[in-house]
Amino acid sequence: MIHLQKEDTKLMVAVHGWSGIILGLLLYAVVVTGMVAVFAEEIGIWSAGHVETSSAFERPIDATVRELGRRTPARYHEGADLFEIGDHDLGVFFHRHETDADGDLVARGIYYQLDRDGRIASERHGTGEEVFGPRNDDALSSFLVDTHVRLHVPDPWGLILTGILGLAMLVAAISGLLIHRHLFKDIFTLRRKANPVLVDRDRHSVAGTWSLPFAFLLAFTGSFFSFFGTIGVPIVAMAAFGGDVQALNDAVFGNPAKPDTRIVGIGNLDRIAADSIRRTGEAPTFVTIENFGRADSQVTSFHPPRERGLEPQTLLYSGATGAFERVKPSIGTRPSAGGTLAAVMAPIHFGNFAGIVSKAVWFGLGFAMCYVTLTGLRLWLARRREGSRSLGWLERAVTVVGFGLPLALLVSAAAFLIAMPLGSAVFWTPAAFVGAALLAVLGGVVLRSNALLDAIVQSASAAIMIALPILRLATGGPGWARAIDAGQPVIVALDIAFVLAGGWMLWRLHGDRLRREAAAPALQPAE
Amino acid sequence: MSPRMRGWIRIGFAGPGAVIVALVVMAGMALWLPGGAAGIDNLVLPLVLVPLIWAALFFHACLDSRLGRIALVAIGLFVVHAGLVANKFLDTKSHGQPAAAGEARR
Repeated sequence: MIHLQKEDTKLMVAVHGWSGIILGLLLYAVVVTGMVAVFAEEIGIWSAGHVETSSAFERPIDATVRELGRRTPARYHEGADLFEIGDHDLGVFFHRHETDADGDLVARGIYYQLDRDGRIASERHGTGEEVFGPRNDDALSSFLVDTHVRLHVPDPWGLILTGILGLAMLVAAISGLLIHRHLFKDIFTLRRKANPVLVDRDRHSVAGTWSLPFAFLLAFTGSFFSFFGTIGVPIVAMAAFGGDVQALNDAVFGNPAKPDTRIVGIGNLDRIAADSIRRTGEAPTFVTIENFGRADSQVTSFHPPRERGLEPQTLLYSGATGAFERVKPSIGTRPSAGGTLAAVMAPIHFGNFAGIVSKAVWFGLGFAMCYVTLTGLRLWLARRREGSRSLGWLERAVTVVGFGLPLALLVSAAAFLIAMPLGSAVFWTPAAFVGAALLAVLGGVVLRSNALLDAIVQSASAAIMIALPILRLATGGPGWARAIDAGQPVIVALDIAFVLAGGWMLWRLHGDRLRREAAAPALQPAE
Repeated sequence: MSPRMRGWIRIGFAGPGAVIVALVVMAGMALWLPGGAAGIDNLVLPLVLVPLIWAALFFHACLDSRLGRIALVAIGLFVVHAGLVANKFLDTKSHGQPAAAGEARR
């Protein structure tokens, strides 16, 4: 229990309420999309019908990358990043670092997208910001992640905005802890037969208290990610390196070595990939080659954390010979407190450190956070309604965002399933989201009661959830037998999850109506 | 000082004050924190800790009953860290090339 003076408690209640009210709806949007984005990879597999299970790094890539190196101008050999795209295909970005006209450090080069047979499917020239973007087969998962990370506001403002929302969540979490007079009692108090406001308050309190440590961690790591590149790195580079961001990057992420510009070719990348898989037990998620083809070239492979581990695994190889050099920390050249702390921020935020189990826990706690944000907003409004300071417009806004946003996400998923086979998913996924969001706003303006708006939006969401698996199959997605044969049970699991969630929502809505009808006494003609 | 005025000063320290002081502390920390085994702790820890530094300043400004103490902590942190950064810049100007703080820490 935390004992504050009465005045301090009142202040903390105000801070808790206003931090939620001012930024609550935007925060809710970030939390909802973050909760869904926990399964962005699985949603990508489900929506695009990806049935390949072996990593691109488990297939031969050496000859392909060697050939790409030959056709790429030497000025872009400063770095080559290798990563998976689409259905375990390979993406390769040859680049160099330079300062653009605005004084920002950028990576400029050529981005190759390869097909399953290692042929070039696409070749894009430009800066990282210009060449990377959603593809037809990952438009849905990219859209989800981009909404969560920057709310589609251009850089750097989107990241700054989500960083501020992270700080608001941090304030709400800490003030939420401080205003609990009886923390342990509140965790278990659910008065089901009290008046509706008290019942809602208890539910908000219980869900909020249980998810408090989680909210704190997410807010802390989320604001770290948002502010890291936009504000933090330029300021620390200014203080420590006179503003030289590249020098800071080299110090923190680089592999310092004596420069040797002799051209000697590249070691066997297939041997490096196989050796890294043997040592870590996992295929790389990312491979970076510094000074491609030079005698001082170094290859770094990044792997998921070991079982029961939290920090990702990183191995260093000589680029010239392909010989294994050492296990290195993700950040810095040797293990250190700062490097380890920074390296565990990503697994803590994404919840991907223990596979599907940790992701499921993160999703569940994310759902609790959504519930806490939404019920918190509604409680704040209910208290003002009791004090005859009704804020009808805000109540509508809470419904439009609270239920309209999940509806718009579901509509965008449906649009993706229809548009992907036609090759136009990059346009239609966000367009359908905007269309559905505008419809929800219109409903908020024209419908006569908030309850009716609530019921329509929730019913539509439930119906779309049930329809999504049917739509997926109708538009050429793999059937259950094929998905299981291919080792992708996640496709079946998501189909079932959508149907169950939609069915549960309909049952709740329908059950509520039936209960209301049973509870209301029928009027007799004499009355 | 009127209670209203005190309230506004408190809001100033909790709002823009906490943001400015947290950013200046982040910059200054890079110059006094030890670099650690890899020589990067002084560069990485300020980046990681800045949301917590901001939260600590925010809640201190909200909850400390003594306005003088809030001002002392915030202004003290600001002066020390801004002074360190200013000293680094003056030092760099007088010596020409900026020295890598990470190297200096090892």
